[in-house]
Amino acid sequence: MADDTGLIGKPAVRIDGVAKVTGEARYASDEPVPNPAFAFLVTSPIASGRVRSIDQTAARAVPGVLDILTHENVAGEITPPKAPDQGKTTTTLESDKVWHDGQIVAVVVAETFEGAREAAHRINIAYDVQPPAASFDSPGAQEEPRKLGPEKKDPVKGDFATAFAAAPVKIDARYATPTQHHNPIELFTTTCVWDGPKLTVYEPTQTMYGLKAGVAKQLGLDPANVRTVSRYVGGAFGSKGMLTSRTAWIAIAARRLKRPVKLVATRDQGFTIATYRAETRHHLQLGATPDGRLTALRHEGWEVTSRPSGYNVGGTDTTARMYACPNVATKVNIVHADRNTPGFMRAPPDTPYMFALESAMDELSYALNLDPIELRRINDTQTDPIDGKPFSSRSLMKCFDQAAARFGWAKRNPKPGSMRDGDWLIGYGCATACYPSNIGPAAARLSLTPRGKAVIQLAAHEIGTGAYTTIAITVADRLGLKLEDVKVVLGDSDLPPVPVAGGSNNAASTAHVAAKACEEIRAKLAAAAVAANDTPFAGLDPATLKVTAAGLVGPGGKREPLDKAMARVSGGPLEVHVENAPEGLKPGALAGLYQGQADMVRGTARKDVTAFAFGAQLVEVRVHARTCEVRAPRVVSAFAAGTIVNPLTAYSQFMGGATWGLSSALHEATEVDPRTARYVNDNLADYLVPVNADVGSLEVIMVPEEDNRVNPMGIKGIGEIGIVGMNAAVANAVYHATGRRIRELPIRIEKLL
Amino acid sequence: MRPFSYERASDVQRAVIGGRETRQGQTDAPVQFLAGGTTLIDLMKLDVLRPARVVDIKGLKAAHASIEATPQRLRLGALASMAATARHPGVLRDYPVIAESLQLAASAQLRNMATLGGNVLQRTRCPYYRDTSWAECNKRDPGSGCTALKSFNRNHAVLGVDDSCISQYPGDFAVALVALDAAVELTGPTGRRMIAFETLHRPPQGKPNVETTLMPGEVITAFEVPAGPWTRRSLYLKIRDRSSYEFALSSAAVALDLNGGAVRQARIGLGGMAYRPWRAKEAEALLVGRPLNEGNAMAAATAALAGARTHGGNDFKPELGRRTLVRALLQAAAMEA
Amino acid sequence: MSTTSPAADGPTRRRLFEAAAGLAAAPAIAQAAAPAPTVRKSGAVDVVLNVNGQDHPLTLDPRTTLLDALREHLHLTGSKKGCDQGQCGACTVHVDGERVLSCLTLAVAVQGAKVTTIEGLAGPNGAVHPMQQAFIDNDGFQCGYCTPGQIMSAVACVKEGHAGSDGEIAEYMSGNLCRCAAYPKIVAAIKQARGKMERG
Repeated sequence: MADDTGLIGKPAVRIDGVAKVTGEARYASDEPVPNPAFAFLVTSPIASGRVRSIDQTAARAVPGVLDILTHENVAGEITPPKAPDQGKTTTTLESDKVWHDGQIVAVVVAETFEGAREAAHRINIAYDVQPPAASFDSPGAQEEPRKLGPEKKDPVKGDFATAFAAAPVKIDARYATPTQHHNPIELFTTTCVWDGPKLTVYEPTQTMYGLKAGVAKQLGLDPANVRTVSRYVGGAFGSKGMLTSRTAWIAIAARRLKRPVKLVATRDQGFTIATYRAETRHHLQLGATPDGRLTALRHEGWEVTSRPSGYNVGGTDTTARMYACPNVATKVNIVHADRNTPGFMRAPPDTPYMFALESAMDELSYALNLDPIELRRINDTQTDPIDGKPFSSRSLMKCFDQAAARFGWAKRNPKPGSMRDGDWLIGYGCATACYPSNIGPAAARLSLTPRGKAVIQLAAHEIGTGAYTTIAITVADRLGLKLEDVKVVLGDSDLPPVPVAGGSNNAASTAHVAAKACEEIRAKLAAAAVAANDTPFAGLDPATLKVTAAGLVGPGGKREPLDKAMARVSGGPLEVHVENAPEGLKPGALAGLYQGQADMVRGTARKDVTAFAFGAQLVEVRVHARTCEVRAPRVVSAFAAGTIVNPLTAYSQFMGGATWGLSSALHEATEVDPRTARYVNDNLADYLVPVNADVGSLEVIMVPEEDNRVNPMGIKGIGEIGIVGMNAAVANAVYHATGRRIRELPIRIEKLL
Repeated sequence: MRPFSYERASDVQRAVIGGRETRQGQTDAPVQFLAGGTTLIDLMKLDVLRPARVVDIKGLKAAHASIEATPQRLRLGALASMAATARHPGVLRDYPVIAESLQLAASAQLRNMATLGGNVLQRTRCPYYRDTSWAECNKRDPGSGCTALKSFNRNHAVLGVDDSCISQYPGDFAVALVALDAAVELTGPTGRRMIAFETLHRPPQGKPNVETTLMPGEVITAFEVPAGPWTRRSLYLKIRDRSSYEFALSSAAVALDLNGGAVRQARIGLGGMAYRPWRAKEAEALLVGRPLNEGNAMAAATAALAGARTHGGNDFKPELGRRTLVRALLQAAAMEA
Repeated sequence: MSTTSPAADGPTRRRLFEAAAGLAAAPAIAQAAAPAPTVRKSGAVDVVLNVNGQDHPLTLDPRTTLLDALREHLHLTGSKKGCDQGQCGACTVHVDGERVLSCLTLAVAVQGAKVTTIEGLAGPNGAVHPMQQAFIDNDGFQCGYCTPGQIMSAVACVKEGHAGSDGEIAEYMSGNLCRCAAYPKIVAAIKQARGKMERG
């Protein structure tokens, strides 16, 4: 835990702030490369079928066109990529097959961006078209239960059927969430540069080593010859968490031309060349006693995926564990359609599945005539209801109580439609948020100079989470330095590996390895000092010595200048290279980290405890009584997520997550045309995300929480939890405002007219 | 984007000579005028518009961007920016519906760039028009069909449509202009002419690729809005999913002349509903001589949407349009004007 | 296409619709008064872009947007491409002091105008602009990708007089999407910088 004198837990402005506000921060497509050629993708306008013929005549005639890659000339050059779950996925130029709308069918390379774009528009491709299945209920869509395995289990407990049949109060409802796309403002870009056998890939990624290993495998290269660089990532939210098909083709284009090639895919192409949050359906059944105790819970989910992929998010792992309930049944089904393969998007399982559970809990609160917060209190538990392990810590009701006090929940008249301000109906809604606490192995190189300047280097990812700063804080805290004396270098696969920046693991994973590196430096200096004769520390227990900017400090204020202490060990700067493997990690996971794998200790799959961060999210909505537009002027969220390394940037992440939740509840939906299985609103004017004017007061309370079981530093991770409760909190508030229960997101005007 | 030659026209005579091959509203028009560029450059990047020549008429600002508000009328130079017009004191005071229609449109950056003339000529946001990978679009490729009839069509028009095209006119300012009986000044190779703004945009009539009645080479040089006893009591109500920076799902431009509690005259335009800027004269007529209460407002709104034709995804639109108009009428009646 | 090397494809130039002398005198028409870009045989144009107070002669494909000219030809990569179709605001720059979207602006069309980008915002001594400092102080960003556009828009928002209230700021900043959703902190940053800009 943070102590009062340290830097952990104290708000600090970002050390990369100046770079970001001056335009100096280099995102992947900002990297200068010599004499680049420009690529432009050609994507399929059909969702199922084959490329029959490609007429390149007009495209080739465009001045400056250098090369056109199609399945006809490059099919055999790569090993197909894998889905986010490492299973099968769709292909692109490997063959003439078209799996989905917007699939890459050609890559045009030209001297200029303008020429490449023109040629891409002039290429003529004929297709043999098969009638596509767009989604659930489409003719030809194939439904099957998901495949189970050690990582994917259907949580089950007791005898649901009997308990539900006997329950005096029941909720039996179906919910749905739409297709959503991450839409980071940074586009999907790739720049590839060859230097002999060595390939450098500048690409925004959440997985430096995963990208490196994936590209190497696809191209049949020694991974040692592939370097990935991504110093700043312009938003990711899961979309840049896995290898996509574009990267290898740009590498091949660069190899064919013997010249750097730069791709900046268009906004609409981003909808189909990367992943997305698939649409889901849910059947939720709750049984309860008249005093509000849950006796039965069943959650069945359906998720869309591509034809070849079995990818699913399976959020029942979370919903089955949320409340004390003796009888639980769960099931997850996947539905194969002619679509691109989905993937991680902010709190992938929890966002859709908790919408269903937390909406059903609200419905139950009305059926029981209970305050929804009280219903959650009645069913709160410190024990994982599925396998009986303790939660490492669970401060859910503290979150509800602090959020409710701040929000003014007590002023809520529970009767739907009872609160009004002029023409606006007012509704208050709440929901539980949660996210499993994960931590992975990581490595880092740390050096300290005799003048007290530290440099830490690791292939971590700055996707907006403030990684530069949280890592610097940890080092400064542990070495007793000022923040400005710590330099952080990341975003380069030539540096020691860390896991994918996903699953809210990165703060924990990087802080622990940074702290371990600091400890190694301290231990080396301390061991040498106590063994030497020329120090005030001779013969002391080395554990009692601390490193600070002023030098080595011992009990009773004894001190030795840093340069002197270091001269004994290294002469100049002292550098350590450390690896951290958190307790409970699978054997081989550390080695796998270097191969781009992302095995982690997951909060839902530990032997000792179940580890989640929890939160409470309270929302005020206003619905116009006549025209029914929904606004959410006020949100209060409280989260207990263990140690908060940097409260300033943590606030931003929680707040951003909550805004994502508002967006998900009210705005976001990718429209899939049922007839053609194509995405229709594939741009930022039609795929709505909130603008500044949509966000009013968005308060975040960070409930102090010490958790020494989750991991040594007590860090739970915060990137995803902010979105999780919001879908249901908004829907519950809309019900309170209008008496209309909306079970299918997003909640738009036409559903309330 | 196809290659083009870029030219600058510094006065209107040179512009209309340079632009004499314009065929307004047609994808294959070989010449396009460039003003703010917010529609043209966008659609050229998307390969929807493919001019061989682009005539930059921003140089016309010197002579055609002034805003004059007199007791008789408002005259708006067509090269005035949306932003400059929206903040003009005379417009704000005497024609609030115009100021609001501009203020609620697009974003601050786009309003700085876009000119009034370009704004009224902005093309539909129909996704099947804007994306050439959808094969069927009568507006882009005459005779090819209309994808929107059978695909996702939440924000397609319900008024003034036919089976050739159900795309929606996306603008706001034009809805205010059509409500206020504005005229538009056109300058062309044969000189100047004034036409009723209402007649600038054509109905689809099976030829949605021809969008306006502009003659080849004609450029919009001004708008004139007659002052009326209703112009001060006017407002623009825009309903949309998010709070800003979004095209209208539904909108109403309303101007009222009240005599005590009763309506002497009403002017009503509808946005987000129609194929072109839409005037609801039936609704106006129903209000004359009657008090503006909920019932009469609803009767007018019902008349305004009586001709609506829906296609599934936009089934909710007539109801939203009615409610929007009722809200706008009641709000305008309550204005201090 | 060559970007900065002049005269690669010969001297055949024609000047189209040169500004009339009478108009050139009017101060409000800097763009019209400026000479039109000259066209080469190949169709490329010679253009001089004035960016952050400096003239940059370039030979460009006329299709090049101001955004691509800045990023790919002048290597000023602070202005970002987020949509390339006027829907996100990440490319916001100032042209003659007004905020505009550089992705929907042809580079050839701003010859004669003064372009200011995020790189030109800091003071001559390198000190960050009060708006930049306010974004840092208030954590008005996360990933930072939309930030140059937000800041250029924010500076204009204050100069336009549209930073009076939280609501007004939010409305006038709604053309700049921030997917990380730093919006309330952007509003706070603008309020902080507003005072300093007005005093300074």
